[in-house]
Amino acid sequence: MNKLLAVFKREYLSAVRKKMFIVMTFLLPVLMAGLMVLPGMVMMRGLGEKKIVVLDGTGQLESAYSRKPSIPGKNRSGVTGRGVRSMLNVDYVSRNGDQNLDATAKQYIARMNAKGKEKIDGVFVIPADAIANTDAHLKYYSRSATDFIGQERLGSITNRAIHTIRLSARGIPVEELASLMKDSSVDGVQVSKSGAEKKGGAANFIVGFVMTALLLVPSFIYGLEIMRGIIQEKTDRVIEVLVSSMSPSQLLVGKILGVAAVGLTQIAVWLVMLALAGAYITTTAAMAGENILQLLRPATFVYFVIFFILAYLTYVCIYAIGGSVCNSEKEAQQLIAPITMIMMLPWFLLVAIITSPDSKLSVVFSLSPVFGPLTMYVRTLVADPPMWHIAVCIAVSIATIFVFFWATAKIFRVGILSYGKRPSIPEILRWIRVA
Amino acid sequence: MSSLLSVRNIVKTFDTVRAVDGVSFQVRRGTITGLLGRNGAGKTTTIRMITGIFLPDSGQIDWEGADNGKPFRDRIGYLPEERGLYKQMKIVELLIFLAEIKGRKGPEVRASIARWLDRFELTEKREAKVEELSKGNQQKVQLIATLLHDPELIILDEPQSGLDPVNMVLVRNLLRELRDEGKTILLSTHMMGEAEKMANEIVLIHRGKVVLDGSVEAVRSSHGKNTIHLEFDGDGRFLGELPDVKHSTIHNNAAELSLTEGSDPQKILEAAVPRLRIRRFELALPSLEEIFIEKVGEETLSEVVR
Repeated sequence: MNKLLAVFKREYLSAVRKKMFIVMTFLLPVLMAGLMVLPGMVMMRGLGEKKIVVLDGTGQLESAYSRKPSIPGKNRSGVTGRGVRSMLNVDYVSRNGDQNLDATAKQYIARMNAKGKEKIDGVFVIPADAIANTDAHLKYYSRSATDFIGQERLGSITNRAIHTIRLSARGIPVEELASLMKDSSVDGVQVSKSGAEKKGGAANFIVGFVMTALLLVPSFIYGLEIMRGIIQEKTDRVIEVLVSSMSPSQLLVGKILGVAAVGLTQIAVWLVMLALAGAYITTTAAMAGENILQLLRPATFVYFVIFFILAYLTYVCIYAIGGSVCNSEKEAQQLIAPITMIMMLPWFLLVAIITSPDSKLSVVFSLSPVFGPLTMYVRTLVADPPMWHIAVCIAVSIATIFVFFWATAKIFRVGILSYGKRPSIPEILRWIRVA
Repeated sequence: MSSLLSVRNIVKTFDTVRAVDGVSFQVRRGTITGLLGRNGAGKTTTIRMITGIFLPDSGQIDWEGADNGKPFRDRIGYLPEERGLYKQMKIVELLIFLAEIKGRKGPEVRASIARWLDRFELTEKREAKVEELSKGNQQKVQLIATLLHDPELIILDEPQSGLDPVNMVLVRNLLRELRDEGKTILLSTHMMGEAEKMANEIVLIHRGKVVLDGSVEAVRSSHGKNTIHLEFDGDGRFLGELPDVKHSTIHNNAAELSLTEGSDPQKILEAAVPRLRIRRFELALPSLEEIFIEKVGEETLSEVVR
């Protein structure tokens, strides 16, 4: 036991002191956050930089594009929707009575090729009969056909304004229009087995992805770390001193637990960072009407630790085998790459599992060995699987881990002292039998 | 002298190769036992079974006498042929770790580390990383690791391999000193001359079997006085071709000849005198090298005479 502890301590300290560990621990979350936030920011900026000319043949829609609230006392977003003017740089041009609107439009479209101040990115044309004719077509000329966000925003602003005008023409007071035309928002509600209701929706999806990645990535990183460590010990020829001082299983368990502790340390740091970021996001999200807090309930973290440990211990055996039978990292990578692919199956099916966590596929995966921990964690995160499912999953995983450990210890015993060529799979199986 | 370790009929097979095939011998307390044999004879596999790295397919390894119920692994100090240390670790931390996995820790270990580092003149390097040390110093650190936990049985697998001459003398003196302190040493080597200088007892292994064992004196005297040591001036190559000469090792100005049973050494002298200027002629006990060759045949000659 003392020896196991000595190995544990050595593995832990030598890993935690590495620069790589510190960099990974503090930089990775920043990077990940960056990756998630950046595309959104780029998109926003992309819209803000767009200069669009609106040619209004009716001449009546200026208020929709002006910065002044069109209706006194009412927030402007009530009419224009989602504060679009902060993203689109719109130049409103009234062309009331223009007999040849198409020709005018062409002049503006020509400016899309201009340089400097004259350059515009899009032309939005509202025909003169847009209010009277219900079959009238609005036209949006732009450089890219995929600029659907700009198109959609301009369309909805214009339509809203047209509707307002049509309705007030029928005698409905302008003051009432805003409340009459107000869209109802849609809340995604998740119904659990116990009948309790929680709000879910898009946030659910994102949190599911982030937490699953947080569970999976360290397992693989530290699995690789174990593999590298064992190969290093083989190339440094330390291994013989080690196994003459303790049994190979003691060494193996000490190493695996030591590295697991490193992983848990890192995850603890990440969870604290996540909690801090979460506090900020929650307040922001609460204003947007999303309640993330109920997704990040305490059970989420308890399950996280349980399933992380189970997943890690399952995966790491494969890497330990890779390390003990190979003499170089390259060799080991080749051996375990296909196995890793199979182990990651739940990750590739993540969208299916998140969107239907109680489907047959999800249930089967969550109760099977190897795939169990990850799949079940996703299920507990986005749904409310029955307690016995969770119990079976944990039991199956523990049994799997014991079998894996037993086989790994045997392969380890033979493999760590073999410096020859990499054994074939049948040879490895024979090691399990003879060792 | 009571025996510390009894190896009884151990067998180890790898795939189709019987690396160790029914080896039995004893290691007596307070002796240096030489485990001899050419490379690939099964020495390292035997040692790995004694140190618990391999389990024998059959046979037994028994330790005599309890040492406070310590596990047998902790009673051994093992210097493997393949030397190696954690390159990234600091010397002191590494030694503490290696003592810990031998079941020792606390202030006496630190004191002991300080003593050993001082003795090997490594005290000022104690905070250095292993990879920063010279090869010779790394070997010293490994030797300290072998002895640090004050083991009852010290097993050294080819301790001379890769040592520079200075460290070789250092190791040799250290081994004598340890033996005089009453330590038991199992020394595996293919260098017969080295074993002859150091060991009290030998176990000669060839192709996984023990072909000879006993105390060095007994082994040598049982092989009779039919060995001649010659020193001469002239070309002595013809000596090996003489009748009655079974094996010969001929150097420039010296030869060691072993004769067939019942032959007369005087005949050899008579044949040599007309052709060589004899400086020394001695009827001697055969060297271990001669005995080894006699036992295992000519095929190993190139291995032994280096």
